[in-house]
Amino acid sequence: MEVVREVVFPAPPEEVWEALTEPERLEEWFANEVELDPRPGGTGVFRWGDGEERRATVREVEPVERLVLDWDDAGEVVFTLEEVPEGTRLEVRETAPEWSTALELHALAWTPVR
Amino acid sequence: MDAGSVDRVFAALGDPGRRELVREISTRGSATATELAAGLPVTRQAVAKQLAALADAGLVAGVRRGRETRYELTPAPLGDAMAWMAEVGTGWDERLDALREHLRPKP
Repeated sequence: MEVVREVVFPAPPEEVWEALTEPERLEEWFANEVELDPRPGGTGVFRWGDGEERRATVREVEPVERLVLDWDDAGEVVFTLEEVPEGTRLEVRETAPEWSTALELHALAWTPVR
Repeated sequence: MDAGSVDRVFAALGDPGRRELVREISTRGSATATELAAGLPVTRQAVAKQLAALADAGLVAGVRRGRETRYELTPAPLGDAMAWMAEVGTGWDERLDALREHLRPKP
């Protein structure tokens, strides 16, 4: 199971890519403090104003097309960019490894108990 | 959100044997370690150990009746998992709104 969001931005893919991979730009929208080495195997540290901190490892980088981050605490995020007439379509897909199991059980286990 | 409890649920469900036990308990409504072991190629002790792990994660609850403990499913942790998913979705909605604002063409 996963969470998927799709958004079209009125900006060229190159600019969306920069917003996804350059720490100082990520600080404008993603987290308050960002360290990111956008290369395969590179690490990312994201800090929010409420004290939350998440760490990630960069798994895949295809410039201006695809970025995959593995959260160190579980799951992954895949960013996919596509040029469209209106600008850039961005798909964000966050997966937690055991969601499918939980949902399968949800379907199996939920009803009989109620 | 309690990420720790969601992690425990997923860790507990990461084992095929424990998933099988959850399915069995779901089918029977409730079951003891002895009843569960009777239908599986494992010992009662092994089943009891797996049930303890499921109970630690909050997925099953044991009620002691006489010499045996009967286990039932507690659906709340899966509810937590669903809530976590909603939280992840909301988080992205907010961040992507912020990204849209960030990418807005400057006049």
